[in-house]
Amino acid sequence: MINGRLSLITPEGVRILMTPAGPSARAWAWAIDILICFGLYLLYSIVVGVLNLGTGALLIGLFVLYWGYPIISEVYFNGRSIGKRALRLKVVRADGLPVGWRESTLRNLMLVADFLPALYLTGLLCMLFDLQFRRLGDIVAGTQVIYLDIVSKRVAPPEVDPIPLPYPLTPEQQRVLIGLFEREANIPIERLHELASFAEPLTGEKGEASLARLRGFVAGLNQ
Amino acid sequence: MKQKQFELQHETLWHNIELILVNDKKNKPESIENFPALYRRLCQTLALAQQRGYSPALTDYLQKMVGDCHQRLYGTKVERPLTLHRWLFNEFPQRVREEWRLLLFMNIAFWGVALITGLLVWYQPDMAYHFMGAKEIEKIQDMYQSNAFKTGRGAEGDFTMFGFYIWNNVSIDFRTFAGGIFAGVPALLIMGFNGMHMGVVTAVLHADSVTRNNFWPFVITHSSFEIIGMLLAGVAGMRLGLTLLHPKRLSRRHALYQASVRIFPVFVGATILTFIAAFFEAFFCANAAIPSTVKYIAGAICWTGLILFFAFAGRQRSA
Repeated sequence: MINGRLSLITPEGVRILMTPAGPSARAWAWAIDILICFGLYLLYSIVVGVLNLGTGALLIGLFVLYWGYPIISEVYFNGRSIGKRALRLKVVRADGLPVGWRESTLRNLMLVADFLPALYLTGLLCMLFDLQFRRLGDIVAGTQVIYLDIVSKRVAPPEVDPIPLPYPLTPEQQRVLIGLFEREANIPIERLHELASFAEPLTGEKGEASLARLRGFVAGLNQ
Repeated sequence: MKQKQFELQHETLWHNIELILVNDKKNKPESIENFPALYRRLCQTLALAQQRGYSPALTDYLQKMVGDCHQRLYGTKVERPLTLHRWLFNEFPQRVREEWRLLLFMNIAFWGVALITGLLVWYQPDMAYHFMGAKEIEKIQDMYQSNAFKTGRGAEGDFTMFGFYIWNNVSIDFRTFAGGIFAGVPALLIMGFNGMHMGVVTAVLHADSVTRNNFWPFVITHSSFEIIGMLLAGVAGMRLGLTLLHPKRLSRRHALYQASVRIFPVFVGATILTFIAAFFEAFFCANAAIPSTVKYIAGAICWTGLILFFAFAGRQRSA
């Protein structure tokens, strides 16, 4: 958990990485969902009023919305209610697979316990003390909320002549170099030169010349 | 091996897997009998790429693809049409018998309080006002004296009350269950409070001959499902609370998860019982056309039936 990601080792011997989502993102998702529930209830009560179905239908609808909305949206829409979609979150089981009826029911009923004594205080405290930001309901149901991974396209390297590296770089070091050129457009040129100067042990140059060599290294990384 | 060579060598494999994933998203699953084999080869390429220190662009790409394939392979929903049946008719009564100590405890918390308050009010009717407000008692007395018991509420009134019972009673079950996790204290309080309420109301209404004849036929049938449902929701919640207090040899997190898996059928059963109670309460008990005798008989059948169910159902499997 040093870089804030959870890693699961699969039977095939590779790691699946997940980034747990913290209280603030989840609170926003909750707020969006509550507004949607409220809107749906208004809509439903208008329909009930127009069709003259009576209070009974209204209360049954309220029951289904209040308890059922989060469960149904998690089970049938791949762990993502509308609020969670908006914030790119997803509910998964501890093993990274989609939630089923049992997990979803338990974690959503436990919201009642997480709410106590007021305003989800128990849930918040529980999230702050848990390494994976799980609230009480998540622990009971064996689930967690994670960020959807941002799909990284295989970016084209800078279009310059590749230069072979003097010695191999670790993947992390490579990542630092690639990151520099991905953000190139947003960094002032003086700062770029300054940063490139730090790489003197690698390039043997300073400033602009060092930057040019680094660009060549990055172009050659996937050779 | 150079990365370029490596990429060339495995390009077709990655392309094939990507095709399968894309078709999946379009809901056009093609024949993918060899998918597990493809996936294993993909994992091998990822491991090799990481170990050889190939560029992050490549490993990230493979990592993402492995994640998607993992979901695709292991996340498929297996159809288990008999799960609910197994839960209700085997595991539900089995787990209830397993938790007989907690059930006994809940019963004492509920019936004990009901009996004590009921007897107190029976011998000293004024005591009723210690437990409940005067207005509340008057309202209940009025309700059971009203003509509605002779004529019924009509279909619309029945349906309104059905909605109310579902919204109110099932929600209470859910809260009892969820609240149980705090060492079972909220669940116990709910039991005690409901017991007190029932004791007082029963004693007050039984004291008067008019309300007595309206009260008993109305409650006798649906109370079987409703009270047992509530007690079991309390048992399920309390089990979670006790696990949190005393997780035995597991960590609290693992113990809670295991307890929740074990106790879930009890919770589902309790919810279903409460739904049945709402149905009876709205459409059977309040129906003025059904004579009281029928209601008493139905009540007796429901109570004995439920007790027999919990005593004997699901035994053959475990034998």
